[in-house]
Amino acid sequence: MKRTLAQSLALYAGIFLLVLIIGLPFWWVVTGSIKLPQEIIQRLPTMAPHSFTLQHFRKLLQSSDFPVYLLNSIMVALFSMIVTIVLALPAAYAFFRMAFPGRNLLYRLILVAYAFPGIVVLIPLYGLFARVGLVDSRASLVIVNVALALPFSIWMMRSFLGSVPREIEEAAVIDGAPATTILLRIMMPLIAPGIASVAIFAFISSWTEYLFASVLIVSDARRTIPVGFAGMIGQYQIDWGLLLAGATAATLPVVILFALVGRWFVSGLTEGAVK
Amino acid sequence: MKKNTALAFVFVAPALLFLLAVLGWPLVQAVIFSFEDIGIIGSQGHFVGFANYAAVLGGMHFWSALGRSVVWVVGNAVVQTVLALGTALVLNQKFPGLRVARVWVILTWIVPTVVVVIIWRWLLSTSGGMINPLLMEAGIISRPIGFFATRRSAMVALILINSWRWFPFTALMMLAGLTRIPGDLYEAARIDGANARRRFTRITWPLLRPTLVVLGVIGTLLSFNVFDVIWLMTAGGPSQATETLPVLIYETAFKGYRLSEAATISVLTSVVLMSFAVLATRAMTASEAGR
Amino acid sequence: MTAFRFVAAAGLALTLLAGSAHAEPVTLTWWQMEQPPQRVKRIQELLDQFNKSHPDIQVKQEPQSWGDVYAKAPAAFAAGNGPDLLNSIPDFTTVIKKIGAVVPVDDLVKDLDTKHHFIKATLAPYQYDGHTWAVPAYNMALSMWYRKSVFKAAGLSVPKTWSEWKAAAQKLSGNGKYGIGLPANKQLYTDQTVYSFMVNDGAANIYKDDGSIAFDNPKTVAAYQAYADLQKLSPPDSPSWTWGEAEACFNSKSCGMVLQFTVISSYNAQAEGDAADLGVAAIPHADDQPESATISYSNGIMITTKDAAKQKAAKVFLSWLLEPEHYGRFLNMEPGLFLPVTEDGAKADSFWNDPVTTKYKSQVETMIDNSKNGKLFGFTTGKVFPSIGAISAQDVLAETLQHIVVDGQSAADAVKAGQAHMTEIAGK
Repeated sequence: MKRTLAQSLALYAGIFLLVLIIGLPFWWVVTGSIKLPQEIIQRLPTMAPHSFTLQHFRKLLQSSDFPVYLLNSIMVALFSMIVTIVLALPAAYAFFRMAFPGRNLLYRLILVAYAFPGIVVLIPLYGLFARVGLVDSRASLVIVNVALALPFSIWMMRSFLGSVPREIEEAAVIDGAPATTILLRIMMPLIAPGIASVAIFAFISSWTEYLFASVLIVSDARRTIPVGFAGMIGQYQIDWGLLLAGATAATLPVVILFALVGRWFVSGLTEGAVK
Repeated sequence: MKKNTALAFVFVAPALLFLLAVLGWPLVQAVIFSFEDIGIIGSQGHFVGFANYAAVLGGMHFWSALGRSVVWVVGNAVVQTVLALGTALVLNQKFPGLRVARVWVILTWIVPTVVVVIIWRWLLSTSGGMINPLLMEAGIISRPIGFFATRRSAMVALILINSWRWFPFTALMMLAGLTRIPGDLYEAARIDGANARRRFTRITWPLLRPTLVVLGVIGTLLSFNVFDVIWLMTAGGPSQATETLPVLIYETAFKGYRLSEAATISVLTSVVLMSFAVLATRAMTASEAGR
Repeated sequence: MTAFRFVAAAGLALTLLAGSAHAEPVTLTWWQMEQPPQRVKRIQELLDQFNKSHPDIQVKQEPQSWGDVYAKAPAAFAAGNGPDLLNSIPDFTTVIKKIGAVVPVDDLVKDLDTKHHFIKATLAPYQYDGHTWAVPAYNMALSMWYRKSVFKAAGLSVPKTWSEWKAAAQKLSGNGKYGIGLPANKQLYTDQTVYSFMVNDGAANIYKDDGSIAFDNPKTVAAYQAYADLQKLSPPDSPSWTWGEAEACFNSKSCGMVLQFTVISSYNAQAEGDAADLGVAAIPHADDQPESATISYSNGIMITTKDAAKQKAAKVFLSWLLEPEHYGRFLNMEPGLFLPVTEDGAKADSFWNDPVTTKYKSQVETMIDNSKNGKLFGFTTGKVFPSIGAISAQDVLAETLQHIVVDGQSAADAVKAGQAHMTEIAGK
């Protein structure tokens, strides 16, 4: 596709702006995390670090429970992801590929779940969990995360399912295959990128969840990163170096994750139909 | 379309029951709370009928917060749509490094909200933050600004920060819609002599519109309910300038120790959102049916 | 053979009996709100020491954040899984008392008072309704911090009155520097700094004896006016300051003066750490007041378990904590911030043997002196009204300031609005 000079300029200006808006803040944070405290609080800050120190990271690892938070976050996110897929996939298949009475109503009902602010369910849910002994458990976080991610995941799945040609399904039906086989053996491989997208969405949503984690988890041993990190902001003082190191460390795991599976997420989105 | 009702229900039931249990039942509880007079959580309440509703609807707090929520949602929608659309259009072109760009543009979304808050709290501060010195150096301002010192700048700053966080995700959703538009359409149009603007208005926009509508609805709902960014950044301040409905609910419940009142506000908020969602999904299915 | 078996069986039986004679230790869960990593670490060291020397009592800490705990603690108690020991500030105690979760500690405190002599100002906020509701554990009081060299260069002596203070702040402003850094956020720190002006203007009481609000009066208005005037000389983002920005401003030499509980550890670690140059003084008082006062935040520990064995164990632990040989190390979880609540704590070697505390000895001594003249809003008359919990939690003092600084209202109108809000809260 041939571009005019003006179009090329616009394109590259756009790319430059994107890099600036997204990349620059992270650059500052990461370089800040290795600066000496005196350099961090300077009145006129420096673009490239003039000093180098690992003291903030040392403090982060040694005197806080950051590794524990990390482990908890990973566990909760993994299970949230798995349960979300297990619940969303069949539901989406039913909504899109099968006919049954009340289909449209139920579909709309599920989307309407987003019409409620999370806080509204916080207190009653806490009471419910308390009654069944689930307070201060990572399982309670998984339950909440799945509930929050499910509607959007079903919607996303529905779109991917739509991109599969009917003929494949019909051929299988003619061959006499039951619906479950159709779903598992035939559809799943075709919509694998879609599943990957939903998986990553569920994982990231769980990773960043703060409100419920801050109230449902009581003990430090089960805390997740967002809450543990917010706690480090601390009463009566701010240690910017420690916070920047924490910010860097909290970003790193998802960056690594994305480096490994990011392209599936993107290809899943860009190849799937969004209706 | 296969008609296999029983199996369909088996497929749908787990998700549905799950949502009913985890979201539906607590909602019912919240409605019950709104008809009682519970203060601190755990204390006993008595039935007071519609007293809470009268008080909330008759007072100032609910309506001001609702207004702020509307400003918040509209502001986010505008900024995010512009940024996301621009980003999606860029990512729909071919250039060296495209694959990398498509994967990493979403960096701001995969990071926990707390980190976003820390980053911007630090960058926007007048002691050690980068933004003020940069603006001064570029000659845009002569004195450092306190971004959260005045009502308007606080809301604007928050909208920008939240948009910074969400626009790549929205952009990828839009990109998904854009990639579905067959390249042949553009080729044919170019052969017919259409310039870039015509190609956009005649091909891109109409074919992208359904996607935008859906994103708009869901995006609005999610945006309306954003709590943690606002709470961790300004706690609704300065002087309640950024106190949207979710923030008001949290404050009323946990700092004002008026649980039933908070439940009442929640129910009212849900009614507002549900009406919007119902109307919007109706419009959605209508536009889908028309295709 | 039979004899051997018998002996073996007997031996086994004896071993089992001996094993069962080992009672299960009483475990206590302690929610404390000092989350910064080094404080958690120091507390854990103390707990390890206690747990080792008291095998029948095991204490476990769960660090919580002040931001969450106002929501979390009532929810936990309501669900039946609250902690056994809970840190507190005076207004938080009223909240926990309201839900019936706190146990009076009259005898324990009386006992400890005889042994260690509590500083009156730290005990007062926890004594009302005929009981004592928490054991004071550590104190914090606002002081004014400055650099001696900066004052010298500007030809200033330490201000004692508000007029002197204003003049000094103006002298120190200019060339991109701010004479004083005062927060103006709707947040606890701002409540505290605002109140420190109020106590220095004779406006320390916000309640009348019958529980109605006495906030709106000329002295309060004057205090807010003075604050707003000085706040104009502060950095433009001070309306969004939470806890660390004032200190950071002071450390980077952008702010000439700040009001803080302490700047010692950050000044030591992040600024120049020159003990000879760090100046601390009592907060200046209004021109017509005889002497300076300050806000003092007595942090206490509440016993929140109804189980008799746990209560007994809790008392053992708290007594142990306040023993001079341990107490100083507890206070030094953040050296130069937490002040002793007991007379013998103030003299304890364990307190002064910390390198930072020693380095800044004269500053810490001044801080302790200042703390003796400390008050806390809502706890000044000996009568405590439960609405102080919500008034504190909703930061009405700071909110009133924001009406002036952010909304541009006059001090008189702002205070009137504050009075109305407090009255509304007190009425519920």
